[in-house]
Amino acid sequence: MTEYSRMAKGSFTASASTAMVNLPFKPDYVELFNYTNIAAAPAANKTLRAFWDASLVVSSSVPTMLEIYNNSTVTAFDVITGTAANPGISAFSAGTLLQYGATQQIIGITKANPARVNVTAHGYSVGDTVIMQGLALASTNNMQLLNSVPFTIVTVSDADHFDVKWDTTGSNYTALTGSPAGALVKKVLYPFLYVPEDNVVTAVTTGSTTTVTTSMYHNFEVGQEVAFRVPSFWGPVQLNSLPNTLVPGSPVYGYVTSLTDNWTFVVNIDSSSYTAFSNNGTMTAATLPGLTYMQVLSVGDVNTGGNLITATSPLYPSPSFPTSSNRVSTINGPAIRGAFVNNTRQGFVIGAGVGTNNASAKIMAANDVIEWRAFLHDISSP
Amino acid sequence: MRAWLGPLINWLISNRLLILRDYIVSAASDINAAGGSNGDNPTNLGVSDFSLVATTLDTNNAYKFMSGIEGMDRFGTGPVRSAYFMLSSTELQSDFDALTGSGFLSVWNYPTNASALPSEYGSVFNIRILTSSEAPVARGVSAKGADVYYNTVTGKQGVTHINQDGYSMQLIYRDPYYSGMLAQNATLAVKFAQAQALTQDTAVRNLLATRNSSLGV
Repeated sequence: MTEYSRMAKGSFTASASTAMVNLPFKPDYVELFNYTNIAAAPAANKTLRAFWDASLVVSSSVPTMLEIYNNSTVTAFDVITGTAANPGISAFSAGTLLQYGATQQIIGITKANPARVNVTAHGYSVGDTVIMQGLALASTNNMQLLNSVPFTIVTVSDADHFDVKWDTTGSNYTALTGSPAGALVKKVLYPFLYVPEDNVVTAVTTGSTTTVTTSMYHNFEVGQEVAFRVPSFWGPVQLNSLPNTLVPGSPVYGYVTSLTDNWTFVVNIDSSSYTAFSNNGTMTAATLPGLTYMQVLSVGDVNTGGNLITATSPLYPSPSFPTSSNRVSTINGPAIRGAFVNNTRQGFVIGAGVGTNNASAKIMAANDVIEWRAFLHDISSP
Repeated sequence: MRAWLGPLINWLISNRLLILRDYIVSAASDINAAGGSNGDNPTNLGVSDFSLVATTLDTNNAYKFMSGIEGMDRFGTGPVRSAYFMLSSTELQSDFDALTGSGFLSVWNYPTNASALPSEYGSVFNIRILTSSEAPVARGVSAKGADVYYNTVTGKQGVTHINQDGYSMQLIYRDPYYSGMLAQNATLAVKFAQAQALTQDTAVRNLLATRNSSLGV
C-alpha cells in the first residue's frame, strides 16, 4: 500500500563534501549514487553508493551504509557511524526556532581574532551556528562576553578547533584553558528560518562608510535598509536608530552598499566622527548580568524578500542564503520584497563523516555528480 | 468528526501563530533584562525592565494598544495605565506574582476586567501581560545555562503579516471515503500563504529574561 508515500529524486554537483537537499517532506530513507566515482576507473576509498534508513538505529545513532572501493580497489561495504562527530546522511525538519544540539565541554579559548575554540571532536562545520555558556563567569575577564552569543563558525582548523567572529586579543581578555567547569557549547540547529535576522555586532570600522561584522551570517543583500541598537558599553551609540539627538523621533537608518563576506558588510553611514567600537570595556564579576549586545537588523521597505525579477533572471527565483558565498536556495518561492523570507524547510543532509573500516572514504567530494532518491514510506517496520 | 480532531485542529491552527512567533523572535531586536537579582545574563524580570521597555517604545513614538482603566471604589483594586502588550510564557507567571507589591497588578485586581483578554495575567506599569504555554523559550542558553524567555513587547504599528494571493487560512478536512483510494485515512490540514514584515522596527522589542531561580522549576 502506498497511499501516502512520498518519493523524490534529483541530482547535483557537489560543491564540498557536505550538502543539504530541501524536500517537501522529511524522508525516512535516502539512497544516492556517486556517478563521478562510478564512471571513473576504480580508485581506493571512493564511494559508489550510500544509503540510509531512519529506522536503523545503532548505539543511538543512525548509520549510513556505503558501497566503496576499498584500499585494494575492490568493491566493499562500510559504515559511517552517524554520530555528531562523524555525520553521514540524516533527515531534518526545520520548522521551529530555538532548538539546540547536545552540549559539549569547552577545553579552552585562545586570545585571537577570530577567537579559536577548543572542543574535543566537536563535529562542527563551517556555517554551523553554535552558542556558548559558562565562560569566565563572575571573573574579571572579558571572555564572559562570548556567553549566549550565537556564532556562525568561520573556520574549522581541525577536528578539535573552530573559529568564531570575536576579537579576544584585547587587554581585558584572558585565555581560557583547562576545561573550565560549566564551559559548554552547543549547536543552534535552525538559526536562519526567518531571514535576515536580528544579529549581534562583533566589530565596527568607522569611516566615511561603516563596515560591520556580525556573529552569525548577516544574510543581507545590497540595498537593504538596516537599523542599529547600540548600548553605550560598545561605543558607537551615534549609530542608534533612535533616539536621534538631532531630529527627535526620526529614526536613523543606513543602507547596505556592499557585502565583504557572509559576516561582514558595508553601510552608507558616515561614522567618521563616531565613537569607536570596542569589546574591551572592563568586565568584572558584576557587569555581565543584564548586559545587552550591539545589534543590527533589517528594516524598511527595501529590506528582504525575493530576488528582483529581471529579463535575465529565472521567472520565480527563490531567495538564497547566505548572501555572499555558498548560497543555498530556500524551498520557498519568491518572497514579497519588504517582507522577511520564510526559510522553514525539510529534507536531508549529507555529512562529511568517514567509513569505519576505510577512514578515507567519504560519501562525496567537491565536483562529484550525485544522483539521489528520497522516500517517506506509508509503512515502515519498525 | 472524532474526539481527537478538536485538539488536532487547534494544534494545526496554532502552527500558523508559531510562524509569526518565531518570525518576531528572529527579526526584532532584543533587550536583556537587567532588573532582576539572579546574576545571570539576562537576569530575571524586575519592574525596572518593564519601565525601560515602555520608555523605549514611548520614546520611539509607538502606539499603545490599550487605554487605561480608571480606578474604582472596590477593595483590592487599582487603576491600570494605558499599555502595550507583552507576550510571555506561562512559566513566568510565578515571577510576575513575585513582583506583586512592587509594580505587578494581577488581572483580578483591575477595577474592572471588562477589557481584559482571556489570556491576560496582569500588568506592570505601562505593559499588560498576556501568557501562553507556546510563548518562545530558548532552553539552556543564558550565560549560566538557564532557560531564556522571549517576552515580546510591541506597539500597534510594530509588526504585520500579509495574506498572499487574497486568501487567509483554509482548514481542510476530507474524510477517509474522499481522502484516499482505500478509504483508510482522513486528511486534515491547514494551508495559508503569508509573509511577515516589521512595519516599524522601533515599536517592537523582545525583552529577554531568565527566571528567578529561587522560585523553583
